[in-house]
Amino acid sequence: MATRSDEVTLVVPASPEFVRLARLMAAGIASRMGFSFEEVEDLRIAVDELWYCLVGPHPEVGTVRLTCSIGTDALEMEGVAAVEGASRLHPIAVSEFSGRILDAVVDEYTLEADGARPSFRLIKRRATS
Amino acid sequence: MTFDVQRRDELRQKFAEYAESRDQALRDELIAAHLGLAEYLARRFANRGEPLDDLVQVASVGLLKAVERFDPDRGLEFSTFATPTIVGELKRHFRDKGWAVRVPRRVQELHLAMATVVATLTQDLGRSPTITEIAQQSGASEEEVLEAMEAGRAYRFVSIDARAPTDDDDDYGGLAARLGEEDPTMAEIERRMELSPLLSALPERERMIVHLRFFEGMTQSEIASRLGISQMHVSRLLARSLHQLREKADEA
Repeated sequence: MATRSDEVTLVVPASPEFVRLARLMAAGIASRMGFSFEEVEDLRIAVDELWYCLVGPHPEVGTVRLTCSIGTDALEMEGVAAVEGASRLHPIAVSEFSGRILDAVVDEYTLEADGARPSFRLIKRRATS
Repeated sequence: MTFDVQRRDELRQKFAEYAESRDQALRDELIAAHLGLAEYLARRFANRGEPLDDLVQVASVGLLKAVERFDPDRGLEFSTFATPTIVGELKRHFRDKGWAVRVPRRVQELHLAMATVVATLTQDLGRSPTITEIAQQSGASEEEVLEAMEAGRAYRFVSIDARAPTDDDDDYGGLAARLGEEDPTMAEIERRMELSPLLSALPERERMIVHLRFFEGMTQSEIASRLGISQMHVSRLLARSLHQLREKADEA
């Protein structure tokens, strides 16, 4: 979906206190792209939820690699966890409620549990005014 | 017999004695012998904005509870029995504290001011403002606005009956009454929320907001308008509710 090659990557420890950095990264890029306050708020909720689905609420040994791709009217964010002894999504990932939250706040999302590195991907489009 | 095995047997014997005598000195000795476990678990919760010493204190309370409740006749190792109790105490501590982290005063002030700025711009523009527009209106940089949005996560929330400092015109008594008695959708919300015990554990107002946002698809500004509170407040309550739901899901 990205029509420009702009990418920003952040690698953080897989620990809940670093979700803040993930939110700030997404919000900062969305702000630069002209997203509205409401859209930025949605994006922050999505990052929280997907992080939780990926590594859960407790500190894990490992990292989460976050990459934001800047498109002309959409922001795509990918998160890949490399966590010791874990190749699974947090149980909440499969909850109906988690899906409801994500459906409400982003345009597309995927969660991949296969393999040693669980990952998520989201796309948030900017509303045309 | 190794020292560790000998020590473990000694402690097991002391637990058995304590179960009989409930002697305070014996209890203190057992607590002292397991402080390392409390410290170890407290460290797992470090770097969340709370001093480690405070966390060790909290973990020690959990340790005390575990020592008092431990039944050596059940054959469990004490550490196996105590760990969930101590971790539970630490989690409760964070829950009770909100997610308080230190926020610079100027960011706090901007966060408080933004409630009005966002509401005014939304009304004037007829749409949700951009971060740039909020920054210009607030006399702040975009980065400061983003920091101020983050500050909402560190906010210590008021009870439903208290006045919110960010919503000067927000009548919480009236809101509580509206939510509890007059809103015709509440019965339906209650019915649907019964599907999830986690959701039903939320306070009524938060349940309402979660329902309107994620089940009815209303935007934050629409919810704010409907409930007569600021969008910033809706944002904080949503974030808090989701945080609580994740905590409860994890405990479950």
